[in-house]
Amino acid sequence: MISKRYIVKRLLLLIPVLLGVATLVFSILQLSPGNPARVIAGERASEAAVREIERRLGLNDPIWVQYGRFLWDLLHLDLGESYVYRRGQPVAGLLRWKFPITMELAVFGQLAGILFGIPIGIISAVKQDSLTDHLSRFGALTGISVPIFWSGPLLILLFSVTLGWFPTSTRIGSEYTAPQVTGLLTVDTLLLGQYEAFISAVHHLFLPSLVIGVYSMALISRMMRSSMLEVIRKDYIRTARAKGQGAKITLMKHGFRNALIPVVTVIGIQFGSLLGGAVLTETVFAIPGVGKLLVTVIQDGDYPVVQGIVLVFAVVFTLVNLLVDLTYSYLDPRIEQ
Amino acid sequence: MSTETETAAEERASRSLLDRLRASPFLSELLSNRLAVFGLTLIVTMAVMAVYARLFLDPEALAHTELGTNPSLAGPCGDPTVLGALQNFASCQFPFGTDLQARDLFLRTVYGAWLAMKYGTIIVVASTTFGVGLGIIAAYYGGWIDNVIMRTMDVLLAFPSLLLALALVAIFGVGLWKAVIALTLVYTPRFARVVRGAALKVLEDEYIDATEALGARDGRVLLRHVLPNSLAPITVQSTLNFGLAIIDLAALSFLGFGAQAGTPSWGLMLTNGVDNGLLTGQWWWSFFPGLFLAVTVLGFNLLGDGMRDALDPRMRETVD
Repeated sequence: MISKRYIVKRLLLLIPVLLGVATLVFSILQLSPGNPARVIAGERASEAAVREIERRLGLNDPIWVQYGRFLWDLLHLDLGESYVYRRGQPVAGLLRWKFPITMELAVFGQLAGILFGIPIGIISAVKQDSLTDHLSRFGALTGISVPIFWSGPLLILLFSVTLGWFPTSTRIGSEYTAPQVTGLLTVDTLLLGQYEAFISAVHHLFLPSLVIGVYSMALISRMMRSSMLEVIRKDYIRTARAKGQGAKITLMKHGFRNALIPVVTVIGIQFGSLLGGAVLTETVFAIPGVGKLLVTVIQDGDYPVVQGIVLVFAVVFTLVNLLVDLTYSYLDPRIEQ
Repeated sequence: MSTETETAAEERASRSLLDRLRASPFLSELLSNRLAVFGLTLIVTMAVMAVYARLFLDPEALAHTELGTNPSLAGPCGDPTVLGALQNFASCQFPFGTDLQARDLFLRTVYGAWLAMKYGTIIVVASTTFGVGLGIIAAYYGGWIDNVIMRTMDVLLAFPSLLLALALVAIFGVGLWKAVIALTLVYTPRFARVVRGAALKVLEDEYIDATEALGARDGRVLLRHVLPNSLAPITVQSTLNFGLAIIDLAALSFLGFGAQAGTPSWGLMLTNGVDNGLLTGQWWWSFFPGLFLAVTVLGFNLLGDGMRDALDPRMRETVD
């Protein structure tokens, strides 16, 4: 069991980290070149118009006043307004529909990683030092070496352009209108009972998920392998075998379940780099999620949107990491000490 | 008795450097790992190519555009199909084909090795140096110094790495050197954390107390004792992060925030492949630069992985 004290302690430790994250995000706008008021007003606006915007946004206030206001707004989930991309629109509202797109991609990628990574790792461990084992280990190292912006284009060229098996970009066939309930297309289409649209959405997600999931697949299979190897040498496995239990049952009942613990950690930690990988995957596959948006708004100098995206990513990443730690100590209570 | 020691001394002297290296358990373990040796071979090949490019290729000439030709149709060896390219390979002017501006993709890809190696080295050396400094100081002084340093590192580690790099690029602006500085900041915390852990372990040893009792100053203890004894994990971390640094730098260039137009960087060549060659089927624009990038990174990952296995006896027992 996991003690309440430990959870509270971990939650309290979260506060300084999140405050630090907020401070760093705040400094993006403060340290970046150029005058935001000038960006909003446009190149040809009069000096007076720029002054007016500066006054309205409080850009001339002392920095600690601006910092306080930034934190206060954050507590109210107010991420400010976009300068350029959708001028005057609240950033929070913008991310509301963009973020699910990225999450969907990341979740499907992670699913691909788990579905392939875990069996590969187990087979590799059971057949240690066989050709299969060597191939899968070499494959895993290759998997973490191949950049998304290489594997993505090559898969598009092969499967979409040459063979025509998969669509090249976007999220759903043009004959369907994307429903907006949660923002997750696969969930929304199912909720509304539009099964053909669901198939189309999954069809569109297939290649991008595969590309983004390869890295997870590699890390998960490696961790599964070494964890499995460690576990099957344990005394309780020998005991189970000695009392006459079959090799396969022992492997699954005692081996697999215990070996899974460190794999859970990798799955969680991996989720963070998946969010980073989403930026590249969305750029290659022209998926209109937050990752692609981030690239656009950095180019445009739309700093409130940059701040919003970076902040949301960091908070999600931190929370997922916390969840992983808590799961880990739930599965293995010795961790708390 | 004396003749015996003499022959022993002679034997020692006659032992080649290679033999002595073989005697080290770490190196013999590493050299018996075929994948690690293969990785080292890949790295050396890329390094040789990088040096060749630096000495004999002119980046100005590689940025040069020859107008008047129809470049987009010329595949590798003048054939846009994979099979055709292989058939024409013997009499081939442009083995990797040409790009949208009729530039020789082979020479540009080879020059990309120099850029990747050069900037990868800068990022890794700089972030290792900063990380080692911060980590050792945090471990040695402890208390509030440790807290300030490591909590700052925690905040930096709270961002996925490419995302932190992008946030920093938003602050610094666009350009190869700015991307290098951003990535140095991204990689520093990892080294700081590893080094702090290693240094704390070293500091527990009694000889550190002895050195301090003898009156050695902080700087001397840190540089002469703590640093050399933490070197092993630092080296492994540097090797593994070398590959990541090269990928991340290429990613920033790919997204348009690193190397700027005209620079023969792999990331930028891949941008051209995705933006212009994807739907019209110019596979060679993406294939060759990406292949070189992946092979380089694979080299560092194979070597780093082997080094980690060779260093960590616990891993050796359970995994191999």
